[in-house]
Amino acid sequence: MARIELRNVVKRYGSFTGVRRMDLDIADEEFLVLLGPSGCGKTTTMRMIAGLEEPSEGEVVIGGEVVNEVDARDRDVAMVFQGYALYPNMSIYENIRFPLRMRGIGKSDQDALIRRAAEMVELGDFLDRKPGALSGGQRQRAALARAVVRQPQVFLMDEPLSNLDAKLRSSMRVQIKHLQRQLRITTVYVTHDQIEAMTLADRIVIMEKGVIRQIGTPDEIYSDPADTFVAGFIGAPPMNLVEGKAENGRFTAPGLVAACPPDISGRITLGVRPEDCRVVTDGPAELAGAVYGVEPTGETTYLTLRTGETLFEVKAARDARFDLGAPVKICFDPERIYFFDTETGVRLRAQPQRSAA
Amino acid sequence: MEKRRKSKGDNLVLRYLVLGSWALFCLVPILWFLSIGFRPRTEIITPEPIYWPTFSLDAWRLLLADWPIFDYLRNSVVAVTGSVVIDLILGIPAAYSLTRYEYRGRDDIGFYILSTRMMAPAIVAIPIFFLFRNMGLLDSVWALMLIYAAVNLSIVVWIIRSYMLDIPKELEDAARTDGAGDLRILWEIIIPACLPGIITASVIAAIFAINEFLFTLLIASTKSAYTMSVALANFTGGSDGVIYNAIALVSFLAFLPILVLIVLIQKHLSRGLTMGAVKG
Repeated sequence: MARIELRNVVKRYGSFTGVRRMDLDIADEEFLVLLGPSGCGKTTTMRMIAGLEEPSEGEVVIGGEVVNEVDARDRDVAMVFQGYALYPNMSIYENIRFPLRMRGIGKSDQDALIRRAAEMVELGDFLDRKPGALSGGQRQRAALARAVVRQPQVFLMDEPLSNLDAKLRSSMRVQIKHLQRQLRITTVYVTHDQIEAMTLADRIVIMEKGVIRQIGTPDEIYSDPADTFVAGFIGAPPMNLVEGKAENGRFTAPGLVAACPPDISGRITLGVRPEDCRVVTDGPAELAGAVYGVEPTGETTYLTLRTGETLFEVKAARDARFDLGAPVKICFDPERIYFFDTETGVRLRAQPQRSAA
Repeated sequence: MEKRRKSKGDNLVLRYLVLGSWALFCLVPILWFLSIGFRPRTEIITPEPIYWPTFSLDAWRLLLADWPIFDYLRNSVVAVTGSVVIDLILGIPAAYSLTRYEYRGRDDIGFYILSTRMMAPAIVAIPIFFLFRNMGLLDSVWALMLIYAAVNLSIVVWIIRSYMLDIPKELEDAARTDGAGDLRILWEIIIPACLPGIITASVIAAIFAINEFLFTLLIASTKSAYTMSVALANFTGGSDGVIYNAIALVSFLAFLPILVLIVLIQKHLSRGLTMGAVKG
């Protein structure tokens, strides 16, 4: 159990910078998710915490101790890998026993610990098998058991679910979360899947190109994105982002007119989530467009509109059906419209008294 | 692949005919000298064809009485086994280093190791002869062991390396975070994971060593170092002129261990010989 701090951490590979000037404070027992597209530096960050990569600059601190010089084998850290990394020549029992053996835990204590870890992931009946004889989900659980068996200070999980099919992924997600709460071990979890991040995390760190774009609870990240990157990355389907112009409290783009805070002007990007839009038949509306596509998912219907050059997605009623090309008007939830500087992508926040209309 | 196998354009009869002829072509010489080896000497030199040869252990008896076959066999076994052990002791860490550690000139060193195999052995025959003479190791099995090891080391390193390249790096990372050090990772994770490669490399090295001729001829001069391959070449049947059935039997005996080795690893052999050139 430990707090993890990254202080000004930089990782360079030759002339390429994988992680630049990263500061991160992970609380004890926290479940932190590093989220970002591939190549954003999230795995590198995790590997630096594990001790598998050395930071080019800065300090990694685990449990109050600077561990830059501490070898991976001596950091009390357990890692679960994307490819499970089970030792193919050993039975599942031996796999789970390996970290105990390496840390010199007495033979007499080993068996009970191994069986307990295997029970935790419901793998008790498979201890005699070799990893090759297990399914993907079972292998994943074996890898988890190997990580939990010695009660490390820190759990690191590097896209552990990305090789599983969708159904298995969601059930494993619940298991992982349950396990982490039960064991109360500080956990860092890397993923590029925003659903995984939202469902698992206490806090999410969104990274892009080696830089942290935003840190916050899933709720904060979702409802209060810091920039267009975060806004576009979180949410499925993602937030609609429309480039346009703002002046005198009005935002305009082809087919779209909306009220905006009067202190915002210039080239602006408007953002609004599909679920914060409403199809209206008459009366005032922010957006007018033609139906481009209709996607019923059973739970709801997603409607894609074309306005000018952009496609705009709207969450419509479950039974809503539209003809292609039909004109549609859309109303936005005025409390849930976001404005961003088009140039920098940074969110522009309304001043305290925000005009709502 | 699956589709091709099932397509009706394949004529099974033709296929078996071709494969069968090829098998016959390869096997007849072996069966022939085996059959010669167990026939009486008189039946071999007669001009008339003999359809039902008489079985005879004459050649076998002659060999056991006159020819120190067990000395030669022992020399072969000692030199070959020893050389393979030396190759593995040196080759496994070398291959591991070439796959996993990052250092300057690593790939050049790897290529240099391979290039030692490209040179014609005759080029170094004379230096090697003087080298071993000065060490007092002429006509010694130990010298043969060292030479075989040196000749085959490059191939052992490269075969094992190709298998090690296929071991995911994650496996080592996992072992490291689980608390294992370098040597332990090599011993408990890497070596078991590339065991097929190690076996393949050992068998291929053993086959090359058994068949080695030039250096053995150079170093060995008596039965204290003659191996099967050189003894076979020198063997004519003794003082009574050329005795073909004995020669045939000796050939078969020299061939037997290689046959056994090939059967043992045939599954891995083609894979080992491509040496990681084709990933898949």
